[in-house]
Amino acid sequence: MGNVIIWEAEMSKALTRGQAEKKPILLDFFNPG
Amino acid sequence: MGAVTYPNTKVADFVMSSMVPLQVLADSPLADEFKVKWTPTIVVLDCYGKEHHRTVGFFPPEEFIPSLILGIGTIDFDTDRFNDAIIHFDRLLADYTKSAAAPEAIYLRGVSRYKASHDPKPLKEAYEKLKAEYPASEWTQRAQPYSLL
Repeated sequence: MGNVIIWEAEMSKALTRGQAEKKPILLDFFNPG
Repeated sequence: MGAVTYPNTKVADFVMSSMVPLQVLADSPLADEFKVKWTPTIVVLDCYGKEHHRTVGFFPPEEFIPSLILGIGTIDFDTDRFNDAIIHFDRLLADYTKSAAAPEAIYLRGVSRYKASHDPKPLKEAYEKLKAEYPASEWTQRAQPYSLL
């Protein structure tokens, strides 16, 4: 475990990973300001 | 979320081991597609991109993990994998008994057990547990008809 969340930035990559790793997607909409 | 919840070690371990994290700006085209109006908005999707669970607003670490487990269990519930859903709801209720997600997990676990067995007894058991442990919860009210079974 890395103890740090490493975020994907593109839906297509997240879905590809999700299907390959058989994991659901955590989608966070955020406002940096 | 970025200052408190995401840096939390337990949260980071859970997210990295159980999910694919995707973070996008609230003014992105994807936010329009998901009709996001406020942040933080957290959506749990299945691996094909279909939404199954959504929350709006801040969650501290001890509430965020059970909320995500509820979302993961809901994916299995929505796709008729009731025995898998029960495993997630059991985990939530064992590890995060006092969390805000617990009453909904009790309700959905009861329904999942019923759907898996066609035995109505788990529905009544869910109501009785909700009534005893969370008498003011909306989920206790939603389960009230099961008292008649």
